[in-house]
Amino acid sequence: MTTPAPVPARPRRQIWSIGGGKGGIGKSLLTASLGYQLAKMGKRVILVDSDLGGANLHTCLGLAAPERTLGDFIRRRAERIEDVLVETGIPLLRLISGASDFLAAANIKYPQKVRVLNRIRALEVDVVLLDLGAGTSYNIIDFFLVSDVGLLTVVPEPTSIENAYRFIKSALYRRFRNAVQNDEVRQLIEAALDQKNPHGIRTPLDLLATVEREHPGEAQILKNEMAAFRPQFVVNQVREPADAGIGHQLVAACARHLGVRTTYAGFVHYDEAVWRSVRQRRLFMVDAPRSRAAEDITRLVRGLVQGETLTLPW
Amino acid sequence: MGYGTHYDVLGLTPAATAEQVEQAYQFFSGMYGEESVATYSLLEPGELREVRTRVQQAYDVLCDAVKRQEYDAALAAPPAAPVAEEPAPTRPAAATPARPVPAVPAGPPRLLPEPVTGASLRKAREELGIPLQHIAGATKIGVRFLEYIEADRHRDLPALVYLRGFVQEYARFLGLEPRRTAESYLRRIAPDQ
Ligand SMILES: Nc1ncnc2c1ncn2[C@@H]1O[C@H](COP(=O)(O)OP(=O)(O)O)[C@@H](O)[C@H]1O
Ligand SMILES: [Mg+2]
Repeated sequence: MTTPAPVPARPRRQIWSIGGGKGGIGKSLLTASLGYQLAKMGKRVILVDSDLGGANLHTCLGLAAPERTLGDFIRRRAERIEDVLVETGIPLLRLISGASDFLAAANIKYPQKVRVLNRIRALEVDVVLLDLGAGTSYNIIDFFLVSDVGLLTVVPEPTSIENAYRFIKSALYRRFRNAVQNDEVRQLIEAALDQKNPHGIRTPLDLLATVEREHPGEAQILKNEMAAFRPQFVVNQVREPADAGIGHQLVAACARHLGVRTTYAGFVHYDEAVWRSVRQRRLFMVDAPRSRAAEDITRLVRGLVQGETLTLPW
Repeated sequence: MGYGTHYDVLGLTPAATAEQVEQAYQFFSGMYGEESVATYSLLEPGELREVRTRVQQAYDVLCDAVKRQEYDAALAAPPAAPVAEEPAPTRPAAATPARPVPAVPAGPPRLLPEPVTGASLRKAREELGIPLQHIAGATKIGVRFLEYIEADRHRDLPALVYLRGFVQEYARFLGLEPRRTAESYLRRIAPDQ
């Protein structure tokens, strides 16, 4: 019984996704800088700009818009996903740029999405980082749900946090939908997506309570999904100490009021060095490696790699 | 939501020190405060008022040594105890259902001998007389996964990142040091990580 399972030769390739539900909060910047830092630690990294429609990850890396993009792969102008990989000039760090052909990309059909996700999963690297677009459409949520590490970026502003909660609920309900077979429960989940549903279900905990009451046999499925769904918060653009504390509040609020066990991966200060670099279309990790933001990123990546999270001091 | 005991409201265990009560009160007052960005969009105004009142009530009792002693005595007497209808606290240890509660060890977290295996976890749990369902209820981890962890059925377990969290919460619940316990357990599965 205690015989250990066969040991894989190498750590499994991991997919990390960087979401947040809102635009302009630093998702692309985080993706680029996390990727840079991971590559610096010796990991083979591929960044994927999956912000279909608002692709600009290449700019964060100081690159011109690449000739070949994910759009070419989606439209089958490129046969293999490897054909649209470009070098970034940084050792071990490569990029799959977003679709320039945004109309085609924004209307990506389900089978195309499955093809993209499968090929991403099969990439021969250590870490794949997915830069997600804004919003909570299925295209974005499904990319988030395939990842091993799901990072939720927020900035200390009400609008960003509101969108992050919406993102969490959408992603969890999507997981429920994928796991549940029972039609009536599926309808409840569908209904719960509308905040003003007639069942009075406002949160995943309400939904769980309703299912426990009306379809007790199905409740465990939802519980397992809730347990396995573990998004991690990153607070960006921290300007004062209280801002960094928001991450802890979000974790507590999600546990109590949504029944979702998130963790707090870390925070990044607002830093003039960041936008100075952005303006020059350069990466601040390269330009200003000693800046506060660069140090924050280094700490964040170390924590993520070691599976450590920030916890309250008591 | 249900609010549970005063300890649940402040995300504490009954073993909390006076200092922890103070810190938890500061934290939750801020989290549910007028200026908080973390809760305004999550809770209706009525819910917010209610939860603020609960936090204040919990603090008023738990910060006063005499009132706290009386409250603890009331909690220990099952029929009079307020029922935690739906405990959803911040940390698993505090989510222990109201009764009957096998003693989860207080005090500093323990370490099991290396390497931590499913069997050694199970032994530690059984010594404390804690049923798996109990841990499942408090941590929201399915009983099935907990069984797989104890049976070392690694191929049936979820991805490592999730598994790490599961083992940590399991360990925390038993009063074991979460991070090092999980690390030792996982090292047997993926020694390179
Ligand atoms: N930590 C930071 N410090 C200073 N400016 C930042 C920081 N994070 C993001 N920004 C600014 O926010 C802008 C938007 O970031 P971006 O990564 O493009 O957002 P998203 O991908 O979420 O839409 C950047 O161009 C940069 O000027
Ligand atoms: Mg972006």
